[in-house]
Amino acid sequence: MKGVLATEKRGIRELGAEEMVGWDEVTQGVVLHSFDTEVENVAHIRPEERPYSDFNSYTATVASWRVIKPVYNRDVCIDCQNCWVWCPDTSIISRDKQMLGIDYDHCKGCGVCVEVCPTNPKSLLMFAEAEDNEEALAKWPEKKKKEK
Amino acid sequence: MADKMELNEVEVWDGNYAASQALRQAQVDVVAAYPITPSTPIVENYGAYVANGYVDGEYVMAESEHGAMSACVGAAAAGGRVATATSSQGFMLMLEVLYQASGMRLPIVLTVVNRAVASPLNVRGDHGDMYAGRDSGWVQIDAFNAQEAYDLTLCAFKIGEDLDVRLPVMVHQDGFVTSHTAQNVYPLSDEEAYAFVGDYKPVDEMLDFSRPVTYGAQTEEDWHYEHKAKQHKALMESYKVIDKVFEEFEKKTGRKYNRLEQYMMEDAEVAIVALGTTVETAIYAAEQLRKDEGIKAGVVAPRSFRPFPYNEIREALANVKSVAVLDRSCPMGAMGALYNEICGAMASTPANPLVTNYIYGLGGRDFAVEDAKNIFREQKANADAGYITTELQQFSGLRGPKLAFYEAKRS
Amino acid sequence: MAITSIKNLKEFSTTNERFEGAHLLCPGCAHSMIVRELLNCTDDNLVLATNTGCLEVSTAVYPYTSWDTSWIHIGFENAASAVTGAEAMYKARKRKGTLKDPDAPVKFVAFGGDGSTFDIGFQWISGAVERGHDFTYICLDNENYANTGGQRSSATPIGAHTSTAQAGRVSYGKKQKKKDIVGIFAAHGAPYVAQLSPNKWKIMAKGFQKALETEGPCFINTVSACTTEWKFDPKDTIHVTDLATDSLMFPIYEIINGTKLNILYRPKNIIPVEEYLAAQGRYKHLFKPENRHVIEQIQKEIDEKWEYLQRREEASV
Repeated sequence: MKGVLATEKRGIRELGAEEMVGWDEVTQGVVLHSFDTEVENVAHIRPEERPYSDFNSYTATVASWRVIKPVYNRDVCIDCQNCWVWCPDTSIISRDKQMLGIDYDHCKGCGVCVEVCPTNPKSLLMFAEAEDNEEALAKWPEKKKKEK
Repeated sequence: MADKMELNEVEVWDGNYAASQALRQAQVDVVAAYPITPSTPIVENYGAYVANGYVDGEYVMAESEHGAMSACVGAAAAGGRVATATSSQGFMLMLEVLYQASGMRLPIVLTVVNRAVASPLNVRGDHGDMYAGRDSGWVQIDAFNAQEAYDLTLCAFKIGEDLDVRLPVMVHQDGFVTSHTAQNVYPLSDEEAYAFVGDYKPVDEMLDFSRPVTYGAQTEEDWHYEHKAKQHKALMESYKVIDKVFEEFEKKTGRKYNRLEQYMMEDAEVAIVALGTTVETAIYAAEQLRKDEGIKAGVVAPRSFRPFPYNEIREALANVKSVAVLDRSCPMGAMGALYNEICGAMASTPANPLVTNYIYGLGGRDFAVEDAKNIFREQKANADAGYITTELQQFSGLRGPKLAFYEAKRS
Repeated sequence: MAITSIKNLKEFSTTNERFEGAHLLCPGCAHSMIVRELLNCTDDNLVLATNTGCLEVSTAVYPYTSWDTSWIHIGFENAASAVTGAEAMYKARKRKGTLKDPDAPVKFVAFGGDGSTFDIGFQWISGAVERGHDFTYICLDNENYANTGGQRSSATPIGAHTSTAQAGRVSYGKKQKKKDIVGIFAAHGAPYVAQLSPNKWKIMAKGFQKALETEGPCFINTVSACTTEWKFDPKDTIHVTDLATDSLMFPIYEIINGTKLNILYRPKNIIPVEEYLAAQGRYKHLFKPENRHVIEQIQKEIDEKWEYLQRREEASV
């Protein structure tokens, strides 16, 4: 389960699963470069277009930390971006003022996004990690009248 | 642009002034420092150059030596030439950051005016601070007089910043005896000096925003060892660049430096191994003993304390019968550090010189020519007897009953 | 697009993140909310330094970095020195013309936890602020040494249980009051000093931008609710933070040039501090009859501080 806008490099390995190279191949001065190639201002490049290096934690996954996961219901969402601003794991994917979904490679399942979601019913709810997202959406609580 | 300074062919400079002139001529980008006796004048002199328009770089007066070296690390990671100065307690306060500077492979130059380490508090010269830095991963070069303090500070930038080295470098000089004693110094012109040092070559600089870089990552048991080993190798192999830089410096100035300096060692039967200003005292004593008493005395002095010149020591002492290794730092519960290095070097050679250890000159206690002569004479006695006639470790120039440790086994 | 003004959250969410996931901070950690917001409220180039602490050990463990900006960690105490050293180098190289991109705007920011800010790194920050470097120091104040298992710091409030100031049969936890770190750095004469909180994201973003735009040293203390050591459910980070700001345990205000104080957030309904304390396991013992006097003391001090802040603001000096 990768979630939206997963790129070829996002979350491709568990922490600790990287190749354990020898002393001759570790970086000089223990430096880590975030990208493989030169970039113009990173703040102007969308994540899915960046040349992330293997040293960037973007390429690692912490999905295994989760026991519960947030499921996103587009039908209820008002794109308020509360979940985006308070996500501690850069795991709410928003583009062009729209909430697109969850980065399940980096989400740790803290549940903050659900707590700060203002819609009724909530647009994000926590489910067991093993639960299928479609099934979770099927059993979404009844909508009361949307409060705007 | 900073003004050039017109210098005479011969200047009368003390070691501090010589070091500060070398920093100015190297056009250091950031000097971040905190003053401490006896290296304070390096920082003050540099401040005068700043105040009078001789410096384009930044001059950061930190709130402590720890802060100074920390700022040096941040500045060096930002991709420019960095230097500072310290002594003694300041060195000890910096110590944590010294390891971090070398681990990050940042070629900072630190001019160390050696001074005793408290307690008890003492402002005079001994090598307690220099020794405290010996595992910190820095190249450590030792100057024995003001001229050398100047020359070797210029060399230090070129050594540390070499892309095959990329390590920080300390240039040591003895507190007061070198730092505050005015001597004739032959400087290079500003243009010649800078041409010798060359432009700084940035590596993984934090100010190159096209390549964002993380400095100071954590490594645990799965990565730490490999990084330390790689760093050790860089320091072990830095001798090649040190030799190259010394060669270039000789071409430019005619002044020749070696990682291991040797004086009258061609036919020496006994030798003193020492560091700092003591070297010149020992040379003078050896010359007199050769003339007056027929003792074939020689002097060996590691110019490069780190990397330690093991191979050169092996060769230099191969035919010597008795060697006195002088440590100007109290080893506290062991043999002196220099003694251990020398014994380590000689243990793997067929030569089996009699090697003993002298502790001397702590807290600036004068080490006179006569003290050196006595040590040579004891070596001569050892050489004649064919065994060590004294204890393995003796204290020279100490008041009170003789203090010595470890009976030598006489075979 | 330059994020020069942040009108609303929708607009803010169009920023391109420079703080990456798969860092090792606890689920629900407020540190990363604060750090993300700092990085998101500017698109200038950044040189960041971080003291040893939760943020550092979670975002740069070889061979991974979570930073898409230049970043350095040296030790527990010296991020302020590191970043101001880099700032000095920037000035020198700009003057000498050796920068790769001399016209690109750069901001220098240091992060530290309360342990490295209030305690072990205090001197380094003070020195850097006194020297007048153009940088911003941000303290992520979770009121304890959370990285090493929750020992007391001088930011730990009176009455809180920590592993080195424990609540027990004869102890109500920490006996000493928290340092007034904001007042201390205001007293340095720093041009911008503030206390901000991530639940009030817009106030915090504006404060961050103000600090970044202000020339000279700026200091910001941020409230960083710690799910692990404050002992609350990770999902409740923002809820607990709301209680912190609405009980005025953490008043939100700024001080300009060491004198002019502005209150940035006035709770519509000020809640009793008891509600804030009750939401956290670290204060559980205060609800025993013999310890209730500590709650009363905390409330009294909050009231006095609020009165003080309002009078300072009113006096406008």
